[in-house]
Amino acid sequence: MDGINLNALSENATRLGMRIQETIAEHTRDLSLTRGGSSLFDMADDKAKNITKQLESSSDREKLDAMKRLIALISKNRPVSSYFPAVVKNVASPNLELRKLVYIYLLRCAPSEPDLALLSINTFQRDLADPSPLIRAMALRVLSGIRVPTVATIVLMAVRKSAADPSPYVRKAAALAVIKVYKVDQAHHPTLLDIMTTLLRDRSPLSLGTAVLALDTIAPSRLDLLHVHFRRLCRALPDIDAWGQVDVLRVLVRYVRTMLPKPVPANERQGEEVDKDLKLLLACAEPLFMNKNPAVVLAVARAFYYLAPSSMLSKISAPLLRLLSVSREVERVALAYLLVVARSHPVLFITSHNRFLVRVDDAEQVKRRKISVLLALCTVDNHQTLLREFMDYAQDTDDSVVGDAIHAIGRIASLVPSSTPQCLTALMGMINSKQDTIVSNAVLVLKSLVQNQLLTPSSTSTTTLPTPFSSQQALLTSSIPSLTPSISTSLSAAPLSFTSTESTSVAQAPLSIIAQLAQRIDDIRHPHARACVLWLVGQYGSVTGTKTAVEGVADWAPDVLRKAARSFNTEASLVKLQTLTLAAKLILLAPTHRILVLLAQYVFTLARYDEDWDVRDRARMLRTLLVGAVTGIMGSNDEEGIGENWNKEEQAGRPGVVLRREQVTRVLFEGKTGTIEEELVAGECVFEF
Amino acid sequence: MAIDGLIILDPTGRPIIQSSYTTYPAAYPLLHIEALNNALAKAPREGSVDPVIYVGELSCSSACCHVEVGGMRFLATISGDVDPLIAFAFLDAFIEILQDYFGVVSVATLKDNFDIVYQLLEETLDSSGHPLTTSPNLLSDIVLSPSLISKLLASVSPATPGVPSVRQGGSFGSNGASGAFTSPIPWRKAGVRHNHNEILFDVVEEMRGIVGKNGTTLVSNVFGKIESNSKLSGTPDLTLTFTNPNVMTDCAFHPCVRLQKWTRDNALSFVPPEGRFILADYQYRPPQSALVSNVPIPLSLKANMDMGEFGGTFALTLTSRLIKVMENLELKFYLGEDATSAQCTLSSAGSSVGSVGSADGSWSFNSRTKMLQWEILNMRSSGSWILRGSWTSKIKAPRPAHAFQIHFEIPSYSFSSLKVDQLRLSSETYKMYKGVRMRSKGSIEWRW
Repeated sequence: MDGINLNALSENATRLGMRIQETIAEHTRDLSLTRGGSSLFDMADDKAKNITKQLESSSDREKLDAMKRLIALISKNRPVSSYFPAVVKNVASPNLELRKLVYIYLLRCAPSEPDLALLSINTFQRDLADPSPLIRAMALRVLSGIRVPTVATIVLMAVRKSAADPSPYVRKAAALAVIKVYKVDQAHHPTLLDIMTTLLRDRSPLSLGTAVLALDTIAPSRLDLLHVHFRRLCRALPDIDAWGQVDVLRVLVRYVRTMLPKPVPANERQGEEVDKDLKLLLACAEPLFMNKNPAVVLAVARAFYYLAPSSMLSKISAPLLRLLSVSREVERVALAYLLVVARSHPVLFITSHNRFLVRVDDAEQVKRRKISVLLALCTVDNHQTLLREFMDYAQDTDDSVVGDAIHAIGRIASLVPSSTPQCLTALMGMINSKQDTIVSNAVLVLKSLVQNQLLTPSSTSTTTLPTPFSSQQALLTSSIPSLTPSISTSLSAAPLSFTSTESTSVAQAPLSIIAQLAQRIDDIRHPHARACVLWLVGQYGSVTGTKTAVEGVADWAPDVLRKAARSFNTEASLVKLQTLTLAAKLILLAPTHRILVLLAQYVFTLARYDEDWDVRDRARMLRTLLVGAVTGIMGSNDEEGIGENWNKEEQAGRPGVVLRREQVTRVLFEGKTGTIEEELVAGECVFEF
Repeated sequence: MAIDGLIILDPTGRPIIQSSYTTYPAAYPLLHIEALNNALAKAPREGSVDPVIYVGELSCSSACCHVEVGGMRFLATISGDVDPLIAFAFLDAFIEILQDYFGVVSVATLKDNFDIVYQLLEETLDSSGHPLTTSPNLLSDIVLSPSLISKLLASVSPATPGVPSVRQGGSFGSNGASGAFTSPIPWRKAGVRHNHNEILFDVVEEMRGIVGKNGTTLVSNVFGKIESNSKLSGTPDLTLTFTNPNVMTDCAFHPCVRLQKWTRDNALSFVPPEGRFILADYQYRPPQSALVSNVPIPLSLKANMDMGEFGGTFALTLTSRLIKVMENLELKFYLGEDATSAQCTLSSAGSSVGSVGSADGSWSFNSRTKMLQWEILNMRSSGSWILRGSWTSKIKAPRPAHAFQIHFEIPSYSFSSLKVDQLRLSSETYKMYKGVRMRSKGSIEWRW
């Protein structure tokens, strides 16, 4: 056992023992050696009445008991300020245990009872001269915690006195007190800054960290005060406690970014040029990568990320990866930072991408972050592995993860254009899944992939990428030429589990994918996905040359419209809008086909009486658009009411432009290239007509 | 711009202990408690709650970072531009301190000692929101541990007659505090004396791996930890060397370890704190292979899954690839939130002599967490264990997890075969007892 301490304690304990004996004599109550805190904690509220009496008793034990009851009441959020006068009397109690509880009480209640708190200030001032550093620090903490502006000058004096205290523990409390005084009243800024200069000169690593923190809080722009201390702070860094290291590093990073020249990257004539003070900071900070505290590791990584010359940047990857295995919670936070670094410097983590593989017992947030990180690390070399991983994640039990995984497959296709056929095969396999989420997400991604393919028929051309990926794009394109042969060989032997003979054969041709989607329209139930399929069918449902049942329209297209028309009333607005678009496009392609025109009329009529403004508007607009191109679209004689009015208006030669068929075709079918780009950025489908 | 405060919630979600939120509106802590409880109630499965929950209703947005310990939730609220890692590091440090003081951290121990918890909270977290003193050795001088108090009471009470004469000058308060802050080393208290000096090391290694559908290992890493329990007198300066330090990579050390010495000589030189502490964390780097992430997995699983409508059937065969006995093997399988029941039979094939085949395994299905669990207490090197069964589900196309989670323990074994060469003590003259133990565990995800 601790020798010295035990001596001191046993001496006190004899006193305590005596007290206990007295108590037994006085109250003939049993002394239980178990602490029995639970009974105090859960006591009934009516017992609280005795507290004042207990506090005024002469026995320390009674007082202690009362204070514990009070703390229990605080803990339960009961009002306790009425006991304030009785508690304040015990501030100067010689019993340390009691005194600590009184301090806790005062720290909580002083702000609500400033007048009464003033009563105890004298005692605290006396305590500031106590021989024990613990008492001095506590007194200062309570004093600065009272937050009553009227006593600010007294507190300031106390802080100034403590800043020169021989004990670093008290000086640490002084630095924290500076922050508190500043927050209560900013008028004392000059005085506080004066105290700060004393504190910054501190030699003890115990209080140095807090001093820097205080400076950062009260005068963040006064980095010039650190000029004389910079090198000393760097060298003291390993000895400061973990929390201090985080604060000091943050401030020093800011100092370096403001005050020192940026490292000059190496060129032919000379090597890297790094300022020697910056070198010193990095050299002193680097061992801290081996700190157990994750916050410190991150602080060092941050310093390297912002300050280090590019040749030293690779040092951050291993320590950051280590954070992933610390705990679930730390992993969750670290991933957010890793994602940022992975996006800006994918090279750092490309070799260790398997550290980011998703586990089924990860939290949903963690899974989604990991997918994003994996995507950021996708290259020509590892896209096969990643594709297989994402296909596994598509089986996840969290819907949002499934969505992310399937969208990630789409991203692979656009990041590594040569992998598009493989991604299409994977997605086509998912269309046959029994899970709604998989199907609808796969359709959404297929839509943009197919559209992309139709726009850029040759797979060698690169798609433009949104800005965050541009650095990666450069990396990808640079490595593409050398690797193309290996890809084409691996394509033929693609070991994909979803592969079915049917889908491999069709995967290459985007139009046949649309045909397949069209045939599966009944199974695609998610509104977004349905809308997607309808749009695709309308946009790409035209054929030229080959003989089809309806001239100019692919064989699979009209039936989709029939099915959509049948279920029109039960669909979501999004789907209704796309049904209208589909109808308009099809009759434009085959303006003379009687059945199609009838179907379209039916749909437009339903839409006219729809609840949704947008649906009614869209129907009205499309109809007027088609007036010149398709005869009979405005409804014929069998319609009554409004229809007749319209006809009359039309016959009356109403004003406005009537477009020819070619013009309408242009309006409806062309200029759709923008969709994909927007979609990639926003991650949401953008629908047009 | 720091940690706003700390709240401890009991298993029902009610706060039992909270730090003072004096500068915040009264609703502030309540809002965070409610946000956490809502998130917990909504979570579809265990462990799927985001550890950082954003609370944006107030003028300044804030977040609560929470950790579960002994059924309770410890939550730290942060606001502004604060790194959540600081909150989690602080929570970890605080929980470690509680464990140091009370042994077990449970609702009962916290309620019994709530006054001590409040004192600890006051000492570890300043009201400005910055961590204060978190070294257990330093704290034990400031806040007395409950065991010490009761020990003193017990030892002193019979000696009543002599008490007045023993009494000396000096008040209780200043005496108790004079011992504090006299140590020159922040993590070790001064003047420690033991009759019996000993230091024990526990090397615990954990394998975390993922096996793909076709049985190939996608990733497997081994993370090690050296836990120490030190009971040494005075200021012992220790040097710990290993015969094969190269197996350790990406290390992290307790603040007491001299980092330069490690970088230079691969030796751990340190003055240990008193009591339990974690000396080092490391990752195992296999000597031959260039890949850090491919340590062989010591078991194999064959899974035949058959998904039908409203349920499915499965046949799982587990085989050990290790000569050592694996203990407390546990296979978990999430059957999806619509699963209703499961029915299984156990058998083992080719098991060694002297054991009853099916007796050393058991299975259970938890209808609340929807988790199917298969346990094997002792898994010997030869033979295989088979679990056949079926489950039912409310929905037509059931959605079970796409992987099994396997946890196991291997006593007196280490994946890295890390070996302690010697432990030298300088600066003190006594003889000490030294001990090293090895232990391993694993958590493998096996996809199907």
